[in-house]
Amino acid sequence: MLAVARDALRVERRGELVAVQWQAMASPCELLVATRDLDLARRLGEVAAGEAWRIEHKYSRYRDDSVIGALNHSNGVPVAVDPETMLLLQFAARCHELSDGAFDITSGVLRRAWRFDGGARMPDAVQIEALRTRIGFDRLRFEESALIVPPGMELDFGGIGKEYAVDCALALVLREFDGAMLVNFGGDIAANHQPDSGPWKVGVERPDAHGAARLLLDFGRGGLATSGDTHRFFEHGGKRYGHILDVRSGYPVEGAPRSVTVAAACCLEAGMMATLAMLQGAGAEEFLAAQGVPNWCLR
Amino acid sequence: MQLKPKPAAGNLRAGLMAATCALLAPSVKAQGVSGADEFDNASVDTGLLYYQEDKGRVRSIDAIVKLSHDFGDERTLTATGSVDSLTGGSPNGAVAQLSPQTFTTPSGSSLVATPRPRGEDDDEHGKLYTIAPGDQPLDPSFRDLRVAGDLTWSQPLGIGNKLSANGHLSVEHDFQSASTSLMFSRDFNSKNTTLGVGVSGELDVIKPIGGVPVAGSDYTLFQKSDGTENKHVLGAQLGVTQVLARNWIAQLNFSVDSSSGYLNDPYKLVSNVDVNGVTQQYLFESRPGSRQRRSVWLGNKLALGNSVLDLSLRYGTDDWGIDSQTVEAHYRMRVGGSMYLEPHLRWYKQGAADFYRMYLTGADAATSDKSADPRLGAFTAKTIGVKLGVPLASGGEVGVRLEAYQQDPKTHTSALAGLAGLDLNPRLRAVMLQLDWKFGF
Amino acid sequence: MKPLLRAALLLAVAGIAGCSTVGIKPWERDILARPEMALDASPVDTSFDEHVYFSKEATGGGRGFGGGGCGCN
Repeated sequence: MLAVARDALRVERRGELVAVQWQAMASPCELLVATRDLDLARRLGEVAAGEAWRIEHKYSRYRDDSVIGALNHSNGVPVAVDPETMLLLQFAARCHELSDGAFDITSGVLRRAWRFDGGARMPDAVQIEALRTRIGFDRLRFEESALIVPPGMELDFGGIGKEYAVDCALALVLREFDGAMLVNFGGDIAANHQPDSGPWKVGVERPDAHGAARLLLDFGRGGLATSGDTHRFFEHGGKRYGHILDVRSGYPVEGAPRSVTVAAACCLEAGMMATLAMLQGAGAEEFLAAQGVPNWCLR
Repeated sequence: MQLKPKPAAGNLRAGLMAATCALLAPSVKAQGVSGADEFDNASVDTGLLYYQEDKGRVRSIDAIVKLSHDFGDERTLTATGSVDSLTGGSPNGAVAQLSPQTFTTPSGSSLVATPRPRGEDDDEHGKLYTIAPGDQPLDPSFRDLRVAGDLTWSQPLGIGNKLSANGHLSVEHDFQSASTSLMFSRDFNSKNTTLGVGVSGELDVIKPIGGVPVAGSDYTLFQKSDGTENKHVLGAQLGVTQVLARNWIAQLNFSVDSSSGYLNDPYKLVSNVDVNGVTQQYLFESRPGSRQRRSVWLGNKLALGNSVLDLSLRYGTDDWGIDSQTVEAHYRMRVGGSMYLEPHLRWYKQGAADFYRMYLTGADAATSDKSADPRLGAFTAKTIGVKLGVPLASGGEVGVRLEAYQQDPKTHTSALAGLAGLDLNPRLRAVMLQLDWKFGF
Repeated sequence: MKPLLRAALLLAVAGIAGCSTVGIKPWERDILARPEMALDASPVDTSFDEHVYFSKEATGGGRGFGGGGCGCN
């Protein structure tokens, strides 16, 4: 666990709970603990925050000294991969296959063409085609537990990193305390069980206006994740595009809901299910109904 | 080899659930490899104890190492090794006199000084020692090195049950012991109540230095036989642990055990005195061939703010007529940020065994069981101590503990002329200094 | 039966009989989770003490199954 500066965490009471808050992964993060003991909550918060920062530092594409940085600058030279990264790669492989290629962690290079800052500039087709030659999960190779990333290709764990961190952080605090706890990293949520006073109350943001929750969900345990375009989107010709890109075309998915929230056994599963639903575009609701998971789509 | 995804098979949701499980289950442990290892699954506890009695009596140095490894899923293996080294004088059971007394160390077979045969040292040949008038007879040759080890395996058995098995071996110059125990416990009431039951067995092999004396026989005849004696002990225990409040947990244990075999101390004597208190004869002590003990123990841990009070009571009895009561308290308080100070008080009272005698007079010399071992007499013992614990930056803890122990026998004088003014059962005082260090890795 | 023994037995019976009402919720175990609240929080201290008292007094143990025997009693 990385050393936690004491003032990096904010601890406050909320009724029967204590909330510990910090900033990580470009999101407001919090740990809610069903206890009256502020010291206990702070200690648990330090564990959760430490885990969030550890994963952020390890898989951040903005740092050269992170695992992702090392892989992305390897230029075709084999790089030794630790067990945790290996497991994440295997998970990404499985998701790539389950989505028939639509989910691809090598698609990060497309962000050079697409800027989802609410602007209106549409990238040109030539640029997108050039970037698409640098995408393809199947082109990653292994040699004696070292990973070879072909020159020009990049890995990006952005699509799974936050949800993974949520589940890992919850697992760690559960080793210290078995009371009701909820981990929330910017809307990606996991909880072990609900407090004595009743289910957790979770609000899912309304796509049109920030801050005013549209959906209020009763959440007991497991994972909850939301995939949506409320913060990161692109508008062109009157049409609004979400930030989920379909790597098979190089363009954002069309007809997707503005926001998909999925509940599952853990945050990682919920998040991936929400992402896969978004990738279905107009068929998102049908897709989720076929999978039989509790979901809330907002259009 | 290519990291090629396997062909999709079946239900997407099931596939996703399986993929998530595969990622999350081992990944919490895998962190250790990346250098972010927060949780230790192995721990080491070591300690060194220096024990010293007053008036040139027993001194010992003990060292212990406990290693504990968590294999996950609440399965743990604990291995303990210890070494004790004892020296000093120990009462030989005879009573003080107004005139000097001469004894031989256990390997001796004569009270007349004889030249030592070539090839034999004092240990094998025996050495005479003389006790000054008025002094309690102490055998100065008390010396031993004991090595012991044990292994305990603990694991869950289904949901809410736990099984624990232990094996122990102990070896010293004249005594070897092997024992084993099995303990089963079950949780009830959301883990607020735990019921435990256990059984244990022990087999001891005793090979006294100088041979096994005929119990109750005249000391000066040195009637000893070569060979070994055995003792076995069977024990059972029933315990209830109950959470009484958010800051209070208590445990109640009922224990019984039954020993049979050679229960004597082969080196201890009893003085047989005349009507004036003058020793006429020394006899080897003789204890019954069996002993059955029962005890009830109640322990409590109570958190008061940042401090913790540990209070325990014990009541014991056995068929030798020894009743005892124990009250013990520790109070751990936080000092200087993260250190702790823990004062300790213990009060213990014991009644004498039915066959205990400070010395024998004509009448009861004929009784079959007799012992003058002060440990079987009536006394009150008090302990006062304090421990300082200092946590280390690396995650372990270092501690230093100082204790003072005092044993006050109930009877230690006699009205007989030849014993007048003598302290026949002096008070025992001892100090203990302990250093300990625990850490995880 | 000795009064102390009787009191102890009553406590045990009360403990088991009242077990459905006495206790805490699973999320209230924070204080009990502290290492110093374990019933045997300092096993090295306990080991040494029990060895000393076993060799100087006639009553041994009672709190749990310890190691095994030694020749000191």
